[in-house]
Amino acid sequence: MATLRRSASVALPSPARVARVGPLERRERKLFLAFLTPGLVLSIGAIFLPVLYAIQLSFYHAESFIATPRFVGLANYVQMFADPRYWQAFLHGLVYAVSTVCLQVLIGIGIALLLHLEFHGRNWLRGAAMAPYILPTVIVVYIWKWVLDVNHGLINTALSGLGLGTVEWFGTPLMAWLSTIFVSVWHWTPFVTITFLAALQTVSDDLYDAAAVDGANAWQRLLYVTLPVLKPVLVVIIMLRSIFMFNKFDIVWLLTAGGPLTATEHLPILAYQKTFRMFDLGGGAAVATSIFIFLTLLIWIYFRLFPIEEHG
Amino acid sequence: MRWSSWVIVRRGLLLLLFGGVIIYSLFPVYWMVISGLRARSALFKPLLLPGPYAMQSYNTILRLTDFPTYYVNSIVVALSTTLLTIVVVTPMAYALVRSRLPGMMVIVRAMLFAYMFPALLLAIPIYIFLVKIGFDDSLISLVLTYCSFTLPLGVWLMWGFFKSFPFEIEEAALVDGCSRWQAVYRVILPITLPGVLTVAIFSFLLAWSDFVFSLILITKDELKTLPYGLASITDAYDANWGELMAGSTMIALPLLVLFVFLGKYFIRGLSMGAVKS
Repeated sequence: MATLRRSASVALPSPARVARVGPLERRERKLFLAFLTPGLVLSIGAIFLPVLYAIQLSFYHAESFIATPRFVGLANYVQMFADPRYWQAFLHGLVYAVSTVCLQVLIGIGIALLLHLEFHGRNWLRGAAMAPYILPTVIVVYIWKWVLDVNHGLINTALSGLGLGTVEWFGTPLMAWLSTIFVSVWHWTPFVTITFLAALQTVSDDLYDAAAVDGANAWQRLLYVTLPVLKPVLVVIIMLRSIFMFNKFDIVWLLTAGGPLTATEHLPILAYQKTFRMFDLGGGAAVATSIFIFLTLLIWIYFRLFPIEEHG
Repeated sequence: MRWSSWVIVRRGLLLLLFGGVIIYSLFPVYWMVISGLRARSALFKPLLLPGPYAMQSYNTILRLTDFPTYYVNSIVVALSTTLLTIVVVTPMAYALVRSRLPGMMVIVRAMLFAYMFPALLLAIPIYIFLVKIGFDDSLISLVLTYCSFTLPLGVWLMWGFFKSFPFEIEEAALVDGCSRWQAVYRVILPITLPGVLTVAIFSFLLAWSDFVFSLILITKDELKTLPYGLASITDAYDANWGELMAGSTMIALPLLVLFVFLGKYFIRGLSMGAVKS
């Protein structure tokens, strides 16, 4: 409805306006340009120029933040692609993104379906389910590091109390991965829960009634009505989560700093290490640029799948 | 008979699941609050219920560390970021929807694209640039840097908000002889408030929670914001878990309060952001 009315109001006056631009129209244009300018200037300065600068820097060699960079062409990239550590980090990033996104989506949908039921105190419970998402990442990390502390943490104290012995939750590569994935899933599952819940509320009851008439049970209704109808939303959620999880730096850095050794090092951490620990600024920029190119590819696919329409 | 016992089983199962969701989501928060409040002697006992209470941890972190300074910095930075974002984003999104100037969709697309940029990709070049012009280590540059993610999100949310907006009201005001500026000021802004509030909440949350940018841009201790400040307290003072949890509770408190009172706008923002298309 809103779309129809809007496009109608847009379409009607336009022939006259194309024909001649009156003084009123010109003044309006100035106002609109004034509205746009601060935002454009700030975005160009804070987002687009830095990205271009990072890409430029990836073709240079620099060992400190104040030295003048020396142009080296593709040397940083050649070195990077020949480095097994880069490919290991790339693989780690993929594993981390895929596993956390899958778990977030599964658990998120499960909780969303549960919170979609009608019962007393539903809103209260919905609020409670959001808690992990609104906490800052640093706090999420410290809470779980404390709960999973080797010597005094709640879990290990309980385990040894039951005579099961303690677990080094961040001690071995495998455990460090499992713990990091778990904490990440805990932190960001509510994003899926809330967005999926909002989408659930848009599914028409008629569809369920029709399915019920056809004798579908609850499981069949979910599989053949809810999920197919919400498939577009689900794809958007998965794309957004994948992009964000592939980018995550802070949670992995604070939990493991890429360790033990480089067991949990993924590309963002490698970029940070190269820039601030090895002072290989060009190399760090090359890693960051490679993340950028990979993500651009993903985002391009995303836009192809879901074009933003002018009257959408 | 069989039917009613099935109802009981079903109810019991649902209650169990609800309990599971509550414990899964809230227990770690509970554990944070309780650990900050427990006396040192009770901290390492595996009790789910608190032992003797003490303000020991709060005293230590507030008196012996720079935590209060970090708190003031965070408030200043988060509020400035929020204000700047709203002032810049609202007119921009309005113009993007209403102006019919060429290239508006290109800007919208570019902003959504920018929203997905890795924080690190932005932080590293911004830092190098700021070092070059000698403007690193400043709260102003931190605020401006935060706009690199609050602007795209804000434009994206407000653009969606204005698109679903009943512009007949505005047209009516224009027909009645209001100028465009008057229409915006008298008619649009009051109805826009919920959207603005949503953007404000997210900007505040992002700025308040950020760790990456302050880690990279800030080195002076007196300029650190809370998340980075708390992390450096761990390294510098060898803080114990009680003190860290006390600090964490104080950092989380404004967000929890915001969420209790404005949760509606928060949830709306999340739904709008991802369920758009």
